Amino acid sequence: MQSPNQEVVMVGIGDYHIGRSPMSSIGLGSCIGLVVYDMERDTGGLAHIMLPDSQGRTDRPAKYADTAVELLVRELNKQGSKKEALGAKIVGGSSMFQSFSGNLNIGDRNIEAVRFHLKKWNLRILAEDVGGVQGRTITFYPAEKGKVSVKTADGTIRLI
Amino acid sequence: MLTTQQSDALRELGNIGAAHAATTLSTMLSTNIGMEVPEINVVDIAKVHEYVSDEPAALVIFQIQGEVSGGGYVLLHIPKTSVVRLTNAMLGMTELDRDLTEMDHSALLEIGNIMVSAFLDASATLLSIIMLPSPPSLIIDMPHAAFQSILAAQDFSDINQVVIFRTELHSDQYKITSNLFLLPNQPMLNEILAMLENLMK
Repeated sequence: MQSPNQEVVMVGIGDYHIGRSPMSSIGLGSCIGLVVYDMERDTGGLAHIMLPDSQGRTDRPAKYADTAVELLVRELNKQGSKKEALGAKIVGGSSMFQSFSGNLNIGDRNIEAVRFHLKKWNLRILAEDVGGVQGRTITFYPAEKGKVSVKTADGTIRLI
Repeated sequence: MLTTQQSDALRELGNIGAAHAATTLSTMLSTNIGMEVPEINVVDIAKVHEYVSDEPAALVIFQIQGEVSGGGYVLLHIPKTSVVRLTNAMLGMTELDRDLTEMDHSALLEIGNIMVSAFLDASATLLSIIMLPSPPSLIIDMPHAAFQSILAAQDFSDINQVVIFRTELHSDQYKITSNLFLLPNQPMLNEILAMLENLMK
């Protein structure tokens, strides 16, 4: 999948990365891996979103759907991306547990929030692989036409 | 987030709990179970992937209930390569190259129940309180995805750091490795630390 010398940047929970080299978020459960891809410049960003709403918090913008969308768009604009050239891919938002108390539908709420904020920023959704009950590991290859691979625990790999 | 003293006290608590869990596993399998020194790490959420991978594994997951504030989990983690060997040893089977069935799932839940009950019981006894496991949830998936989903639940959502406690148990005879994880949220951690401090007075 990747050339041997190419380093993959790991993007942990609530973190983000922007660039042209491959980047990956492993084991997305209810979290969302949000990819924003610049089709003209073959560059882009990945945010590992944990929760739907920042409620005004600013310390980790990539952690929340509302601030993460804005963060990636602004950062890419700053680096010369035109807004019309940007598109999004969203992966994750699964519901792995049925029987515990707490925030059970957090995966669904994350998906909804990311879609809502993408729409607000007029960003097209190019592809998505969301929901269900399985965990996912994603790798984003900006330089390979924005290809995103999605791996699940059963070993299946899909390209979106 | 944790002083050395607090970390040592927690390690001792976990050590006692894990030793009891190891004993129950040893009884179930009629074999020696080795146990590593418990690790306690204060981990930034962005670095959880350095401690918990996306390698498929069986996870038996319990919420901690009883006389502590809600918001803690115990997880029994069995790497996929060990799962069949473990259920085989338990069910008296030998075929390694087979799909997991309902029987394996029941066996995993049972092993989890017994080990985690022993773990919580021993820890709670030391603290002179009662801690009970919730009914278990079994998933066979990526551990990081399970941890992450737990962290996104209400009782953890406002945090950027998490305390991860891990002890490795292994059987050389059956070539089985498993890990016991304890994942307390902040209120539960504070409560346990206060109790430990009282004990040491």
